[in-house]
Amino acid sequence: MTPTSGPAPAPERRPPSAAMKMAVAAAAVLVVAGGIAFYLASRTARHEARDGGEAVTTVTITGRTCEPNALTVPAGRNTFRIVNASDRAVEWEILDGVMVVEERENIAPGFTQTLTAKLAPGTFTITCGLLSNPRGTLHVTPSAESEAMKAAGGPPPVAFIGPLAEYQVYLTLESAALVEGAGRFVAAVKAGDLARAKALYAPARVSYERMGPVADRFADLDAAIDARAEYFERREQDPGFTGFHRLEWGLFAQNSTDGLAAVGDKLLADVASLRQRVRTLDLPPEALAAGAQRVVERIADQKIDGSDNRYAHSDLSDFEATLAGSRKVVDLLRPLAAPLDPTLAADLERQFGEVEAALARYHQGDGFVPYDRIGGDERAALATQLRDLAAAMARLNAALGLS
Amino acid sequence: MQIRLSRDIGSAAFIAIACAFANTAILVPANAAVEPRALVAPVADYKIYVTGKVRELVTDTRAFTDAVKAGDVAKAKALFAPTRTSYEAIEPIAELFSDLDAAIDSRADDHEQAEKDSGFTGFHRIEYGLFEQNSTAGLAPYADKLMADVLELQKRIASLTFPPDKVVGGAAVLMEEVAATKISGEEDRYSHTDLWDFQANFDGSRKIFELFRPLLGTDDRAFVEKVEANFATVDKILAKYKTADGFQTYDKLTDADRKVLSAAVNTLAEDLSTLRGKLGLG
Ligand SMILES: [Cu+2]
Repeated sequence: MTPTSGPAPAPERRPPSAAMKMAVAAAAVLVVAGGIAFYLASRTARHEARDGGEAVTTVTITGRTCEPNALTVPAGRNTFRIVNASDRAVEWEILDGVMVVEERENIAPGFTQTLTAKLAPGTFTITCGLLSNPRGTLHVTPSAESEAMKAAGGPPPVAFIGPLAEYQVYLTLESAALVEGAGRFVAAVKAGDLARAKALYAPARVSYERMGPVADRFADLDAAIDARAEYFERREQDPGFTGFHRLEWGLFAQNSTDGLAAVGDKLLADVASLRQRVRTLDLPPEALAAGAQRVVERIADQKIDGSDNRYAHSDLSDFEATLAGSRKVVDLLRPLAAPLDPTLAADLERQFGEVEAALARYHQGDGFVPYDRIGGDERAALATQLRDLAAAMARLNAALGLS
Repeated sequence: MQIRLSRDIGSAAFIAIACAFANTAILVPANAAVEPRALVAPVADYKIYVTGKVRELVTDTRAFTDAVKAGDVAKAKALFAPTRTSYEAIEPIAELFSDLDAAIDSRADDHEQAEKDSGFTGFHRIEYGLFEQNSTAGLAPYADKLMADVLELQKRIASLTFPPDKVVGGAAVLMEEVAATKISGEEDRYSHTDLWDFQANFDGSRKIFELFRPLLGTDDRAFVEKVEANFATVDKILAKYKTADGFQTYDKLTDADRKVLSAAVNTLAEDLSTLRGKLGLG
């Protein structure tokens, strides 16, 4: 829950960032392969000089290896001429780890095919015929083109499609899990099973907290699902006070499920709406790191006093879930940021590890030590770590050319 | 395919998730360059599709490998082709896990000593035992390895960010592979169940095309119609060979049908290879 989200401010809307619009169409940090279809290449098996003056590298595949078996080419567009000098049909692949960057399949014995790929600096492996044959290496050295891109200030807009899509999948799965978890929790509330309802309160919130980085994008639902009593005129008695914390108050402060059935039903309706809403989120790339940074900062600045779950004292469970949701975002962006700011990438990894380890010390059974048992010094230490982490995260958008 | 429809492939919740992005299609006017952000929803949708297929694959592979290990040749033979369909449907992105693809789906001739090669594992190694040697003898270790590799694939997919160029390009890459090699019947050379694979390959490529189709401008209407017509041609030919529980063996395919199929696949490969460029991922 975002303590600042009382009765709803309008969902935040930002203009598309300059960086997103920036014409970095001049190609990719990512490897983008040449667009010549296989059979076209196979029809024009003989080698021709290519226009644009790009390099042509000839590789001969013999029965057991590639000749040469170690290649070095400059970053950018490269054409490879693959000669099959073995006695069986072979394929030739450029691999980045286990991912095929580009390949030619089914090159008949005695035939030659060409392959064009746009390559980023780095070391790749090449396969040569049989799966058991030793692999070769392809070194791609920085070129004027790749350096210019680095200077252009960040990855091109297409580089953010993958991370944004992966985050969309994450939100889809978490919102489905929220609907399920809230369903179990409310069922216990409505069955009058106080002990079970209390036990399911913190777990039901986990998926909601993980979605924290985008909570500001559905502020109306956030207020209905997760607002605290103090945002309402009549506090706990206010009919507008609904959602998790209203149920928490009944269960933990009143020690009863009386009168909570309708509140439970409303929570279910609201999380179902949230799940629908998540489908249409269209996040700009800069919203990822900004949202993830904001929720970590909010723990340090506001939630650290335990005011969010003041009746249940389950705050550590929320903190862990919030951190997991932030880490998801950072893990998605780190591969893009690492080549541009290696120090930041390493700092983030280290600092997440430290905060996670600090929280892990409070694990107890399936959950956490009640937060009211955590002393002021320990809270202050945790807040400092969280603030440092948030400060590192605040550098992420700049590193990505998004701010 | 009929078999699969009647099978429980997961919770209702998951099916609902699978439709999650259906209503987020963004219409793009003629000639407009595609905004990179417009590609986010279809890429996400595709990952959800793949996740569902891999879930099916895990369930089906367990039943298949159990039958192999129980020594039930008839049952294992019957489950071979249907188990493979979910794998073949995600083959457009097999380039993202080339090591597992080799372990799960390589052919004997990818290995120096062909069928005798210790590195020859996966579906086709088991196919060789079941259909060529009519036995499950010695197959248990291959069954265990296949199951382990499929579970590793599921883990890998869950944490994998899908590169949009690989997703969009995958539709063409797979059609090229069908045109270049699979059309000869080399994939399922012992069981001749190739038509099952073909149907799954076409369905998998078509899924990608359909997810990104809404992003194409009105200028591409002729392109879209042509691709759809070729997918329809392919479906119509395969439909002729459907049986109550799957497909006839590949040798039943007439020369005339093979020619039409081959031409349609070649055209699909050619056309779909332009999709990346059209979507700004060239
Ligand atoms: Cu295959």
